[in-house]
Amino acid sequence: MRKLRLIVKREYLTRVKTKGFIIGTIIVPLIGVAFCLLIIFLVNHKPTQSMRLVIVDNSGELAQPIAHGLDAKLENGQPEFDIVDTIVQPASPDSVQADLRTRINTGKLDAYLWIPRDPKESFELHMRNPDNFSLIGPLSGAVDQAVISRRLSDRGVHLDDIKTILQGTDLKLLKVSETGESVEKGQSIGIAIALVILLYTALLMYGIITMRSVLEEKTTRTMEVLISAVRPFELLTGKILGVAAAAFTQFAIWMISTALLFSYGALAAAGMGGGSALSGVHVPASLVVWASVFFFGGYFLYSSMFAAIGAACSNDQDAQQLQWIAMAPLVFCMLIYSVVLNDPSSNVSVGLSLVPFFAPVLMALRISLQTPPLWQIALSLALLFITTIGTIWASAKIYRVGILMYGKRPSIVEMFRWLRYS
Amino acid sequence: MDAITLENVTKSYDAVTAVSGINLRVPQGAILGLLGPNGAGKTTTIRMIMNILVADEGTIQVLGQPVSDKTRDLVGYLPEERGLYPRMKVLDIIVFLAALHGLTEAEAAKRAKEWLERLGLSEWSGKKLLDLSKGMQQKVQFITAVIHKPPLVILDEPFSGLDPVNAATVEEIMIEMRANGSTIVLSTHRMEQVERMCDSICLIDKGRNVLDGELRAIKQSYGKNTLHVEFTGDESFLKHPAILSVKHLGSGVEAKLAPGADPQEILKAAVQANARITRFELLEPSLNEIFIDRTTHA
Repeated sequence: MRKLRLIVKREYLTRVKTKGFIIGTIIVPLIGVAFCLLIIFLVNHKPTQSMRLVIVDNSGELAQPIAHGLDAKLENGQPEFDIVDTIVQPASPDSVQADLRTRINTGKLDAYLWIPRDPKESFELHMRNPDNFSLIGPLSGAVDQAVISRRLSDRGVHLDDIKTILQGTDLKLLKVSETGESVEKGQSIGIAIALVILLYTALLMYGIITMRSVLEEKTTRTMEVLISAVRPFELLTGKILGVAAAAFTQFAIWMISTALLFSYGALAAAGMGGGSALSGVHVPASLVVWASVFFFGGYFLYSSMFAAIGAACSNDQDAQQLQWIAMAPLVFCMLIYSVVLNDPSSNVSVGLSLVPFFAPVLMALRISLQTPPLWQIALSLALLFITTIGTIWASAKIYRVGILMYGKRPSIVEMFRWLRYS
Repeated sequence: MDAITLENVTKSYDAVTAVSGINLRVPQGAILGLLGPNGAGKTTTIRMIMNILVADEGTIQVLGQPVSDKTRDLVGYLPEERGLYPRMKVLDIIVFLAALHGLTEAEAAKRAKEWLERLGLSEWSGKKLLDLSKGMQQKVQFITAVIHKPPLVILDEPFSGLDPVNAATVEEIMIEMRANGSTIVLSTHRMEQVERMCDSICLIDKGRNVLDGELRAIKQSYGKNTLHVEFTGDESFLKHPAILSVKHLGSGVEAKLAPGADPQEILKAAVQANARITRFELLEPSLNEIFIDRTTHA
């Protein structure tokens, strides 16, 4: 056990201390998080001061309804727009404009709205710093509404009638589960697909890391020194556990940062009035637990296969040719998962999710969509467990023989023959 | 108690028999030269002693115990296929391997520094292994084989890649370890080193031991059958029937005598042939000759 601990420790520290790990785990997500936070901040950035506005109305009839539409308040209770003055049909438009520009430049005014004589021409908003974007939306809305309302009333129709006529219906999706009903906004599907991609990527990535690590010990000829001190099985187990610990560290960092991001996002969204997609995302704790259980089962299954492949080969090229053996079932999961997604409780889905090599991805997917009967989860886990033990046993055999073999890449038949060696 | 006992040990891979029925006893406190041509089964034998490979038949004992994972910690091993994690720091890797052999990390670090000092590597202890020259890496590897003071050390070609100064240091350390009671198995192709250092040898060929025992006794058993002659003039005396073969060296000739031949007869023939003799010496065969004699098959 002492030796195993030393192997795990070295493997873990070697992985975690590399530049690649630090960049991949902390810096890249940090940049991503910072970027998201920046966007959220910018989107949610609210002005605290009213826009001091002068309306110049060349049409003579729109200033009133527009001003009427600009009655919204800021968060601090101030009105969004402070209409300093309304100039209707100025006699000398040029001198009025020149005067308004001076007032803006001296900071006495924020903007002036230029209403053309004919509403078909452009309306103009003149301002010094186009920084309070959030106020342009309401202003543009008020202008539109005033113009449309005018046109409708010219034809004898009232704007409110049109609004009532055009009002759509609301189709609400509800997800039924044992615990009752919950409002479904398409997030379960999103979570399910994200989960499949995450499990597939993680199993593949950490499997290949394990394979490369074994291969490195072989190509650098460190192997024989190591197995003169520890049993090959200890070395194999230590390596798998060490990489698992590094994987766990990486995931923990990602999970925590994602949780922080989401909770900040949810807070920010709540502040905005709850319109954000982030606010409604809710990953049930049970799903996290089940997904972790299946991930670790799958990790031990696949990484022991990858380790055996690494042990059997003597160089990168050979390993790349042989790694399809371990990759094939994972790739199959990616090709077939939509079948499970479409009908998680069909016979095909149930069957596929019970196959140990697919269970880590497909059973986790089923659990995320619709909790399957407990016996199916239990059976799938039991089969996965038995297969994992068997695979580790076989991998250890291949590993033990392979680590001392250099030269020609063994055929699969030869690798099976190694299983019989003492 | 012997350091190593092999009884009728056999190991085969698929169709190839690497070792077939080796018997060997290595007394404690000795330096044994394990010799043999390439592919004779030396590495397989060593790996079985290390419990890296399991023998198909026969028994192996190390320091009185049947070979197991426990006996592995009693042995220091410098394999022929050697290398260490290239991106680990020198001190870290020595400490890691020493800890795997049972030392505490503090003790391992202390001893590692002493060894690095002795082998002139102190200033490299914080460097990555890949920054070191081949000879320096070799010395680091040697440290990892001996740092846990194992009662048995197996060194496979320990001098390859070392310059004469470093080779002398390693040789000195080996002699010192023998004086402290350690047993050393030295596998090498450099016969002069074996003649200088080894107490006994075991010569393996085609998976079995063809010659073993104390080096002195082996050489004596061959008798003084080699004649070193330096002369000028007629060399027809070298065709004497008692001479089996002649090797021309820079300074003279080396003649191998037939068993039971009298060197005096050859001297007589030389004098009669009017050769001027400047040196006439009867020698034991060199280990090199014994090696070739025992492993070449007509």
